[in-house]
Amino acid sequence: MNRYFAIFLTFARACLVRDMTFRANFILECVTSLGWMSMNLAFYLLVFTFTPEIGKGTGWSKEPFFAFVATGMIINAIVQAFFMPSAEELTEMVRTGGLDAVLVQPLDAQFLLSMHRVDFSALANGLVGVGLLAWAVPRMDYAPPPVAWLLYPLLIICGVAILYGFVIMLAAATILMGRNQSLYDFWFYITNFSRYPAEIYSGPWGSPLRMLCTFVIPILLVVNVPARVIAQPFTGQTWIGVAAAVIAAVAALVVSRIVFQRALAAYRSASS
Amino acid sequence: MIFPYTLLMHNSDPSVAAAVSDPVICVEGLAKEYRVFDKPEGLAASVRALFHRTSRVVEAVKGVNLTVGRGEFVALLGPNGAGKTTLLKLLSGIVTPSRGTARVLGHVPWERADDFRRRFALVMGQRNQLWWDLPAAESFRLHQEIYRLEPARFERTRDELVDMLGVRRLILQPVRELSLGERMKLELVAALLHEPEVLFLDEPTIGLDVVAQHTIHDFLRGVQSRRQMTVVLTTHYMKDVAALCERVVVITRGDILYDGSLAEIVDRFTTHKIVTLELDEVPDKATIERFGFPCECRGPQVIMRIDRNRIAEVLPEILGSAGIRDVSVEDVPLEEIVAELFRSDAREAAASAGAAS
Repeated sequence: MNRYFAIFLTFARACLVRDMTFRANFILECVTSLGWMSMNLAFYLLVFTFTPEIGKGTGWSKEPFFAFVATGMIINAIVQAFFMPSAEELTEMVRTGGLDAVLVQPLDAQFLLSMHRVDFSALANGLVGVGLLAWAVPRMDYAPPPVAWLLYPLLIICGVAILYGFVIMLAAATILMGRNQSLYDFWFYITNFSRYPAEIYSGPWGSPLRMLCTFVIPILLVVNVPARVIAQPFTGQTWIGVAAAVIAAVAALVVSRIVFQRALAAYRSASS
Repeated sequence: MIFPYTLLMHNSDPSVAAAVSDPVICVEGLAKEYRVFDKPEGLAASVRALFHRTSRVVEAVKGVNLTVGRGEFVALLGPNGAGKTTLLKLLSGIVTPSRGTARVLGHVPWERADDFRRRFALVMGQRNQLWWDLPAAESFRLHQEIYRLEPARFERTRDELVDMLGVRRLILQPVRELSLGERMKLELVAALLHEPEVLFLDEPTIGLDVVAQHTIHDFLRGVQSRRQMTVVLTTHYMKDVAALCERVVVITRGDILYDGSLAEIVDRFTTHKIVTLELDEVPDKATIERFGFPCECRGPQVIMRIDRNRIAEVLPEILGSAGIRDVSVEDVPLEEIVAELFRSDAREAAASAGAAS
């Protein structure tokens, strides 16, 4: 484990050195990313000038909702910083045969393929998320109990694990298909669902969608469960959510691992 | 030139015999098939192909048997698409075979055991394995972590390798700024840092200038003999083969056509020697006809192809002719022999395909 951590640090160091080499690009990425987030926040502020709460009786008033948004920012920043850059590069690696070099190294291929690139500019979003959380939580009507603060980081990790599982399954699909740009687009669409409180999915269309995104593709558990723990009073439903998030995280990791190993066994390699 | 021999040969060359005594690579009936989907031409056909695709099976490697001993330097030769690189990919565990068995250093390659992967290296001339935007020194450091190399040993090996190739000043320069030859030298350093017992080289000198090719030949020869490393090389350059390999395995259409020593390939597959005469002056037609062999003239130089069995008999006669300044007797160039070997096989394939239809 220490060795893997040391290798990850070497990757991270190399990425940082590279980012420093292209300083203007790095700064531009940070600015673009922060700009996009600021626009999102401005949009939510605008929404709250028209309504005190998102969905009547849902408890998602302005400050709890910003805690929700902050949680989403933190989780997405972790995934975007540590896993997505490598996964995005995989299509090219499969198409050009670059994956061959990975497979001959005495290291877990999944680790190497999913963590060899770190996008430090994405971490800037995470820092903004932490700042937003620090701003929103003290202003809420509800003070989270100590158990909420204990569960919150654990559930953040579960959320990251669920998304990581999806990333790995997309990577496996890339290996099998050779190219799968559309699936990465699908990833973008599906993670969009996780950005909003589950309560907005109600009614004849919303409820089935909520079921689908909770039990089949458990994307709604990613942000909703940790955000609810920190921003809403504990109920029986909260604990069900916590259990579901942990189970979904373990399942995502196990299933994605199996799928990925099978994909590697079927790897065809590109012609030289 | 048509070879008067059966092409598939098993031979008793000492290097092949040595393979049996200390085998490092053992391959039996190894085959790899790919399903290839046909891409029809035109819009309408493409739309139809969305619903109904036609496919066929391509046999990249067809039941190959091969044994390589410790310390051997083996060249895999073959035309493009013969299955050389696929065989290397099977031996290094990148792809899984359709059937057959293989053991490299006692391991089944496609099980990808870490203990196996720590003991071999693969260098592909057409692919870059170093970090593109960073100096090679950074990639070497990563290599140290991945292969768990003890720092003192790592530094000693790295220094030794970079000095042998004369690339010390390049290791701190971003890889993207280096020439192809410089990059290939650094790729070789990276591949050899963990002192592999088996090295697979896939066209390591492709696109390199003569000086870089020579440097790499000297380097590989030195490292291989010092470490008793087993090397399997695919190449299209006969200079690589002549400089490095004692044993040659010729692969065409996924199958082994010849497996034996380099010297024997020349002996078996050539019926002629090339005799070059330097004359005092440009010869006239009568002079040329007097030699009695088909000749090619380049100014005062006359090049003749003479039956090997008749060389001893006819050479004194030729040398007795007036006006000869210099003479050389050489084997047919290796490129020519191998090219003819490939062409003969292609003709055989076409003939058998014709007979089948």
